[in-house]
Amino acid sequence: MESTNNLKSADQIKVKRKKSDYIFTIVFSIVCLFWVYPLFMVLYNAFKKKAAIIPYPFDLPNSETFVGADNFVQAVSNSATGLGFFSALLTSLIITVLSVALILLCTSMCAYYVTRVKTWYTAIFYYLCLFSMIVPFQMIMYPLSIITDRLKLNNPINISIVYLGFGAGTALFMFTNFLKALPADIEEAAMIDGCGPVKTFFYVVMPIMKPTIISVGILETMWIWNDFLLPSLVLAKEYKTVPIVIQYFNAGRGQSEWGAIMASMVITITPIVILYFCMQKHIIKGVLSGAVKG
Amino acid sequence: MKRRIALLLASAMLLTSAVAGLASCKEGEGGSDSGKKGHVYYLNFKPEVDTQWQELAAKYTEETGIQVDVVTAANGKYEEKLTAEMAKEDAPTLFQVNGPTGLASWDEYCYDLTDSDVAKELSTDTFALKNSEGKVKGIAYATECFGIIVRKDLLEKAGHTLDEIKNFETLKTVVEDITARKDELGFSAFTTTALDSGNFWRMHTHLANLPLYYEFKADKVDADKDVPSIKGTYIDNYKQIFDLYLNNCTVEPSLTTGMTVDQARDEFVTGKAVFFQNGDWEYGNITKDDVLKDDQIAMIPIYIGVEGEENQGMCAGTENYWVVNGDSADEDIQATLDFMKWLVTSETGTTALADEMGFASPFKSAKAPKNYLDKFNNDSMAAGKEVVTWVFKAMPSEDYKNEVGSALAGYAAKMDDASWNVVKTAFVDGWASEYTKAHE
Amino acid sequence: MGKTLKKNPLYLLLFMAPTVAAFIVGFVYPFGMGIYLSLCKFKTMKHIDFVGFKNYLKLFEGGTDGERFIQSFWFTALFAVVSTIAINVLAFTVAVLLTKNFGGTNLFRTIFFMPNLLGGVLLGTIWKILINGILSVFKDSLINKGIYGFFGLLIVLLWQQIGYMMIIYVAGLQGVSEDLKEAARIDGASSKQVLFKVTIPLVMPSISMCTFLTITNGFKLFDQNIAMTAGLPNHETEMLALNIYNTFYGTRGQMGFGQAKAVVFFLIVGAIAILQLKITQSKEAD
Repeated sequence: MESTNNLKSADQIKVKRKKSDYIFTIVFSIVCLFWVYPLFMVLYNAFKKKAAIIPYPFDLPNSETFVGADNFVQAVSNSATGLGFFSALLTSLIITVLSVALILLCTSMCAYYVTRVKTWYTAIFYYLCLFSMIVPFQMIMYPLSIITDRLKLNNPINISIVYLGFGAGTALFMFTNFLKALPADIEEAAMIDGCGPVKTFFYVVMPIMKPTIISVGILETMWIWNDFLLPSLVLAKEYKTVPIVIQYFNAGRGQSEWGAIMASMVITITPIVILYFCMQKHIIKGVLSGAVKG
Repeated sequence: MKRRIALLLASAMLLTSAVAGLASCKEGEGGSDSGKKGHVYYLNFKPEVDTQWQELAAKYTEETGIQVDVVTAANGKYEEKLTAEMAKEDAPTLFQVNGPTGLASWDEYCYDLTDSDVAKELSTDTFALKNSEGKVKGIAYATECFGIIVRKDLLEKAGHTLDEIKNFETLKTVVEDITARKDELGFSAFTTTALDSGNFWRMHTHLANLPLYYEFKADKVDADKDVPSIKGTYIDNYKQIFDLYLNNCTVEPSLTTGMTVDQARDEFVTGKAVFFQNGDWEYGNITKDDVLKDDQIAMIPIYIGVEGEENQGMCAGTENYWVVNGDSADEDIQATLDFMKWLVTSETGTTALADEMGFASPFKSAKAPKNYLDKFNNDSMAAGKEVVTWVFKAMPSEDYKNEVGSALAGYAAKMDDASWNVVKTAFVDGWASEYTKAHE
Repeated sequence: MGKTLKKNPLYLLLFMAPTVAAFIVGFVYPFGMGIYLSLCKFKTMKHIDFVGFKNYLKLFEGGTDGERFIQSFWFTALFAVVSTIAINVLAFTVAVLLTKNFGGTNLFRTIFFMPNLLGGVLLGTIWKILINGILSVFKDSLINKGIYGFFGLLIVLLWQQIGYMMIIYVAGLQGVSEDLKEAARIDGASSKQVLFKVTIPLVMPSISMCTFLTITNGFKLFDQNIAMTAGLPNHETEMLALNIYNTFYGTRGQMGFGQAKAVVFFLIVGAIAILQLKITQSKEAD
């Protein structure tokens, strides 16, 4: 009796779902069109001449305003060396990759220790990290620029230590949040099998943490890739990142090279979009394997 | 097993820090090497001439073997960058201040240039910036002038000539006639007043220069010294000209707060307006790619309705002063002074400043840049007209300018008495309160 | 596991030391120095004079500076609360819908996520152009009214953060087993009851994480603020970080005062954020 009822309702749901499926897909398609529009706007404005961008942002390029790749050429050839943009791209890439890798490795290990060893010093450190998330950068920027100068943390490799220090808060918070919910049973099983803490962490805990590692990785990548103020104050004078180079198109007295700005936006976003699409598969997979979390 | 992994990781970390340490060592050596000879580190203020500075620095290094680094701060981020850089070991040896107010902030760092070669190269003493003790601390390197740039061709098309405009009244007559026939003519009198955030400078400093100039003139105030307060004698004239801009520009006043100076320039270049308040630095922008030819443009003074203004000329002056960091090593200071001298005396230096960067520099051997707009300033000086000096550099702080600018934008949005009172308060009372804050 | 880790100090060194060392350099030292500077008067880093609590007193003795700070505090607080609620409700809703089984969910997730790829200044600039483009039809512009700025900033933040928060929620929702929900349904729970009694308590860790992230982001918002409205009109849309920033550079010799504001700001946000964390974490299901 009950089972037939169930079957019936399940059937009904199935039919109903098909209809709502359509509606959902349509509604979301429309919402998504609006959602990507601003990005699309940047893309097509990158092909328009400077004067046609700000007053008429909604107009697509036409025969009169289309300038081909001119804006892109201007964007990449602004510096005296002619390779300014590409060297900035390389600098940004080195900084981002190194810093994110360092943050993910160090803070995940740290978070593991903090959640599993409950003593006064891990508690203090955890709360200090939370505090650091709240501190406005403006408050620490001068002392930070001085200490990084004295310790020679002012090159693209060493700056990752600064990012690890300043970015530790968010990453640690997200990792501990995940690890707290992770039952220790699996680790203990691994221990019984003869794994030490290090091996357990890398072979057992880390794979489970994958979805969080990806989320944290994305967050940190976005922050570091787009960061302007920190590198501009901390890096030694011979290094420039992409956000720093882009700022030069915004000269004083209303001389903004909007075409070049749009083009460099496109150039900056593209690697990140590609990276995201590559990671996309892993994100979904990671999320599904995260079901252990329960 | 676990020990091995632990060891491996520990050694990997050691290696990383060793590499990092090595990188820093190498850099340290490089720094001390060039230190013996002395080097120059210029923190440039103008992003638009960054490329030109880099090229010029490379030429100097090639010629003399002295290393010159030029770093350009992003627009509006100069103070930030300077404050951070000055605290570093490798601090700028040469940087810039915008006048007496800027000098007061950095005075204790500034090397005394009174007896320097570059100071002796100045064509007139008025371009030496002195501190409160009368020592020369800053050297003006680019002088500029501003007024109202006119599309002569459009003005003639509207049936008017430049000669008609002699004071505020005649300017108003011409402007309002063009506005009345705006649709028929196909263009407006003024370009948009452009009051979006970050675009106030034409109104809160340049336009404000006129009421301030006349007030200081009447009260015999020296704008190169500290000015603790103002009276706002000519505030009504300020309103008068600002109203004229707002009521006769390409768009409704309430729209100007969403518009930028870039847009104003585009309107001017594409023939949507006759008048464009701006300076000679715009010459390169408006004639680029031969969009406008010299015979299409002219510059006239900004008239605000003060008695005797028929004899008024353009607003000419500077807010760009070089200062040398007195905290640098002696050999670096010497290298910097040599570099400055080279800039203003050598063929390469003077050519670059004039032709490539477009600066009119106040030095004896300076070249005149090819700038047609300067002709109007020179002509009016030759005709004995009164040059309106840049007194706005006496404004007590950046905050003061921003307050006035934001009040002007607020007024443009509503155009009522209440919002003009906000401008008045910001302009007059704000001066005294900002001065007190800066001097406490 | 904890015991084994604790036993050997080598593990402490290995797991904690790198982060702690970097944290001291990148945060603790500059932060301590920042607190010291808030008790000083200085124009540059060369001459720093200790003045005690003078900078703090200035904040509470009235005058426009103090008033503006308080005004921007309320604006920021209102903005942070509204944006936190809006972002989380919308992100959660989108996440719930996108864990359903209909065509294109993967693509939609990607699209919702994409605005995250831009930095704050660029985001602010793009939306300023867009909003001004729309408002100009009505002969108006973004900085004419404070309310425009508020909603403009809200839209930008929603656009930027919904996607990211949604991903966190999707991860949380995938962890809620279908069996549990099914069991609740069999027990006669309505779909609303399933959502509020089963799903939400189970994704509470995600909720507490997202609200913490959004509320701190809301309070610290700076890039978008300066790019879009720069506090206009008349400081109405000036948020705390921008207010502090303007104090730093607006008037010479006010940097110590700016540091003091930053400390007060930090204390306020710190208190709110920790409170929020305690509330949501207490609701987390074990």
